[in-house]
Amino acid sequence: MKSGAAIATILVSPALAGTIFGVGMILGLIPSNLVFVSLQANSGILPIVAGIAASVVGTLVWGIQAHQRRALDGAIAVERRSQLEARRRFVHRLNHELKNPLTAMRAGLANLAAGGLDADGSLGTVGEQVDRLSRLVDDLRKLADLETHGMECEPVDVVGLVREVAEMVRAEPGRSCRSAQLHIQEIPWEPGPVRGDRDLLLLAIYNLLDNALKFSPAESPVEIRVVEDGTWTTVEVADAGTGIAAYDIPHVAEELYRGRGAQAVEGSGLGLALVERVASLHDGSLIVRSRSGKGTVATLRLPLHNS
Amino acid sequence: MKILLADDEQAITTELVPFLRRSGFEVQVAHDGEETLRKVQSLRPDVLVLDIVMPLLDGREVCRRLRTSSNWTPVIMLTHVGSAGERAMSLEEGADDYLNKPFDPFELVARIKAVLRRGAPRTQSIAAAHRLSSGDLAIDRPSRRAFRGKREIALTGKGFAVLEYLMLHHGEVVARERLLDEIWGWDYPAATRAVDVRIAEIRRVLGEDVEHPSYLETIVGEGYRFVGTVDIAG
Repeated sequence: MKSGAAIATILVSPALAGTIFGVGMILGLIPSNLVFVSLQANSGILPIVAGIAASVVGTLVWGIQAHQRRALDGAIAVERRSQLEARRRFVHRLNHELKNPLTAMRAGLANLAAGGLDADGSLGTVGEQVDRLSRLVDDLRKLADLETHGMECEPVDVVGLVREVAEMVRAEPGRSCRSAQLHIQEIPWEPGPVRGDRDLLLLAIYNLLDNALKFSPAESPVEIRVVEDGTWTTVEVADAGTGIAAYDIPHVAEELYRGRGAQAVEGSGLGLALVERVASLHDGSLIVRSRSGKGTVATLRLPLHNS
Repeated sequence: MKILLADDEQAITTELVPFLRRSGFEVQVAHDGEETLRKVQSLRPDVLVLDIVMPLLDGREVCRRLRTSSNWTPVIMLTHVGSAGERAMSLEEGADDYLNKPFDPFELVARIKAVLRRGAPRTQSIAAAHRLSSGDLAIDRPSRRAFRGKREIALTGKGFAVLEYLMLHHGEVVARERLLDEIWGWDYPAATRAVDVRIAEIRRVLGEDVEHPSYLETIVGEGYRFVGTVDIAG
């Protein structure tokens, strides 16, 4: 129900209006702060009482419903946290179990190469695949490290960091032609520092920009936007790439998750998981919005140093 | 040079033993913690390559017992979980170096050679010492504090960890990637800038002249080297 319709009803019959407000609030359609309108628009004591009574009942029921909704949301959040924990434990065990076989395989490959047993060049291929698995295990360790690593806590100039990351990426082989356009809030002031670990934040911003470049065509631009709203500094990295399918979005920050559109691009499926972990360590957040075929915006929100 | 390789994983010892032998070392194997302790006493290896996860006694306990009994055989610990905390703990137990599994076997040989170059210690190795000094610079490892003379100098946690690592590996050229891997726990190519930032911090705090450094030398294209001599401070 729209509030305009509700106010029109009040002018006709305050009692009916009170009842409608009550029912509306029971159904969760009308916020309780509209109750005062019914008090201003009545013309008799009984309709007032009836209206207020219905409103009070409605508010109570609405409150109970809101409580139930919060409880349900809470239960879903707890369940989600527990699923994430179980997933992390599994990834941790998988990582652990892969280490010994990979160590033996790397030494075995070195022995085979030294023995001149690589007649058809297969050792090179196997070696590359073992290296790939080793990198995956290494990336999983990096994620695990974030859980235990002592974090530096100092004021970090995010704008400086974004400029540094843009320069770093430009200096990488094959990326000199890619342009990352910076849009930094300047008026009336530049975004202030955030409190946190400079290196982790650098890594997070690097991963966002790296992803944007990886998942967009070479000729398309990438934008990095930095704004501050007095409480948060927000870094947005936007690309005009392939985008992420709607059903992949809720999972993009899960370890090892590779969306269907990401299969063709080399990567471990850990980049956004790492960014999400860094964001949460800083009491911030990562939000990913995307449209298939249009592009993706990754938003990293970090609390300002003095907020 | 004699190496004792202690690892309960048969596949690893089967592959590493011939590799290490071909690299010029005499190699013996132990499969659990107790056997390792016995063989260190009987074989007197020049280096002990010690896996952390082993039956009967784990690698950390083996290392602790060796050091408690004043046995300073150089130890390279093979870490499993590989978290920064575990690696730091390995050094605190008195290991001279550590490598994360799965490692490149050539890297293991490089580490063994580096440990051997430092010379066989007759007393406590610097890796097991709580307090290290070089000239008027001193670091207290358990409390993570650094001093010039009697004056405490302010380093960030990372800055301290880099200085500590370079002092423990004094004389060696340490690549940025290795510092990243060992201290930060990641080695993204682009993140080497993070190392430069911490090196700059240490130099600023120590008042180093980059052209004529007393402590930290830049080896262009390779990494950094701690050039001062490092002693165990009382």
